[in-house]
Amino acid sequence: MARFLTPSVFYEPPQDFKIGDPGDFSYGPPAFLSDEKIFVFRDRERGFAVASAVCTHLGCTVAYFQSDERFHCPCHGSVFNADGSVEHGPAPRPLEWFEVTLARDGQLRVDKDHPVPASYRLMV
Amino acid sequence: MNPLRDAWQSIVRRDPLSTDKGKSELVFLNVWLHIHPAKVKKENLKVKHTFYLGFVTFFLFLILVTTGVALMVYYRPQSPQAYQDMKDLQFVVYLGTFLRNMHRWSAHGMVICVFLHMCRVFYTGSYKRPRQFNWVIGVALFLLTLGLSFTGYLLPWDQLAYWAITVGTNIGSYAPLVGGRIRELLLGGHAVGESALLRFYVLHVAVLPALMTLLIMVHFWRVRKDGGLSRPVWKLKEEKSARLVAIGAPGTMAPLAAVPASRDKTYGLMEVVTGKPTFETVGMEEEEDTVFSYPYAFFREGIALLVTVATVMAVSLFWKAPLEELANPAKTPNPAKAPWYFLGLQELVSHSALLGGVIVPGLAVLALLAIPYVDLNPSRRPADRKWAIRAFTLFVVVNVVLIVLGTFFRGPGWAFVPPWVHIVGAG
Repeated sequence: MARFLTPSVFYEPPQDFKIGDPGDFSYGPPAFLSDEKIFVFRDRERGFAVASAVCTHLGCTVAYFQSDERFHCPCHGSVFNADGSVEHGPAPRPLEWFEVTLARDGQLRVDKDHPVPASYRLMV
Repeated sequence: MNPLRDAWQSIVRRDPLSTDKGKSELVFLNVWLHIHPAKVKKENLKVKHTFYLGFVTFFLFLILVTTGVALMVYYRPQSPQAYQDMKDLQFVVYLGTFLRNMHRWSAHGMVICVFLHMCRVFYTGSYKRPRQFNWVIGVALFLLTLGLSFTGYLLPWDQLAYWAITVGTNIGSYAPLVGGRIRELLLGGHAVGESALLRFYVLHVAVLPALMTLLIMVHFWRVRKDGGLSRPVWKLKEEKSARLVAIGAPGTMAPLAAVPASRDKTYGLMEVVTGKPTFETVGMEEEEDTVFSYPYAFFREGIALLVTVATVMAVSLFWKAPLEELANPAKTPNPAKAPWYFLGLQELVSHSALLGGVIVPGLAVLALLAIPYVDLNPSRRPADRKWAIRAFTLFVVVNVVLIVLGTFFRGPGWAFVPPWVHIVGAG
C-alpha cells in the first residue's frame, strides 16, 4: 500500500536548472527568482552565490530586507543573517546555499541537489 | 379493510402511537430510531445536563455532509481550476456562496461543539467506568474533526490553503523516524503541487468522512451499551457511587467479581441472560423517572436540529467564508495565519517545530486518551475530584490562551503586536 501511494514518476520541475547569463544579474541586493525560490547574490570582488529562499523551519518563503541585510520569514518570525545563519527565531538550521556553475553555453546553472557551504562563490 | 391503511401499516409495522406498545415499537422496529432506548430518564433530557452538545455536533456533521456533497458538484481538485471553481461558487452558481458559507461555518461550529462536548463529558465525570473506551473514541472523533477541517480549508487553493499545506506537512516531517516519509506520502511528491491537492481532496471527501461515520456509529452504540447517558451530577447521592455490589447472573454459584456499582448504569436484561456483569439492577423509584422516547426525547432532539440548522443558516447569510488570493508559491503572505483553531498550534511551532509541533501536541493527545485509565477515582461528584477538575481546566485555559495569543497578539513576521496597536504599511 505504501508502495502504491509512492509515485514512481514525479512531474516536478528539475532540481538542476539554468537561470540566465551572468550579465543579467546586477551588483547590490540579491535577485529573487520566485519560481525557483532562490536568491542570487552577485558581489564585485567575490562573485556569484545562490541561497535558498525556503525557511528551514516549516518551509515558508523568506524575504531579504536590504535595510538590515537579513532574511525574514513571515510565518513564525525566523531571521537569518546575510550568510544564511540563524539570527533568531525557531529555525533549526541555516538557509541552504546551492552550487552555482557556468554551463557550456555561458549561462549560470544552479543545482539544488548540491548544497554548498555559505562561503562558496563562483567567479566569472 | 382500508388499503391505504394496510399500505401504511406495511411500512411502519407498529401499533398506533397512542398506545405504549406503539411508542415502544416506533423505536424498536425502526432502523433509524432503534439506537435510542424506548424509554429515557427524565433527568437526562434536561438541557442543563448535556446542553445537547453531542447532538448539535452530530447535526453539524450532517449539514457538512449535505452541503459538502452539493459543493462537490462544482469542484475540481486541480490547480488552478480549484480556485476558479471557488470564484464560480461565489459569483455564478445559484446559492453557491450560501452553501459554501454553510459548509465553512458548520465546520467551525463543529470544532467548537466537539470541544465543548468533551468539556461537558469531563466535568460531569462521564468518562468513568464503564464508559472509559467511549471517551477514547470521542478523542479520536475530535482529532478526525480537526483533520477534516485541515484537509478542507486546503481545497480552495488560495494562499491560505497553499501555505497551510506547506507548513502542515513540514510539521509532519519533524516526526521522528517516519517524518520525511509521511510528508512524501501526503504530498505525493517533494513539493506542494497538484498531487498534494488531489490527495488532500481524497482524504477530505472519502477517507476521513468514512472513518468519521464509522466511529460516530460506534460512539452512539456504546452510549447505549454503557447504559445510556450518565446521570446528571446533581442526582448523585452520597456514597452510592462507591458502593460495592456483586456482579454476575442471579442464581449462579458465585458472583464474578465485586466492582464499584455505578448508579449510572441502567439494567440490561441481555446482560443478565448472558451471564455478563450487571452493574446494578434498577429500582422501582427509578422506573418511575422514565418517559417514552417518543415524543419526549425525539421532540427535544428535533428542536436541537432546528436550532442548529437555523443558526448555521443565519450565520451564513451575514458572514462570508473567507477566500484569499490564488495560491502563489513565490509569496508567503505576511502574517501567514492558520484558521483560529490552529493558531494555538501555530503559536507553539513559532517557538520550536519539533517541540511545539510534534512533542507537545502528541503528549497532549496521549494525556487526553489516558484520562479514563489514569483517573480511577470512582466518584463523579465535583467535590470528590477537585484535582482532576483543576488539571483539565488548566488544559482548557492554556488552549484558549494560546489561541487568543495567536489570533489577536501576533502581527507581521509573527511579532508580538497587541490588537490595539495599528501598524501602518504592514504587509
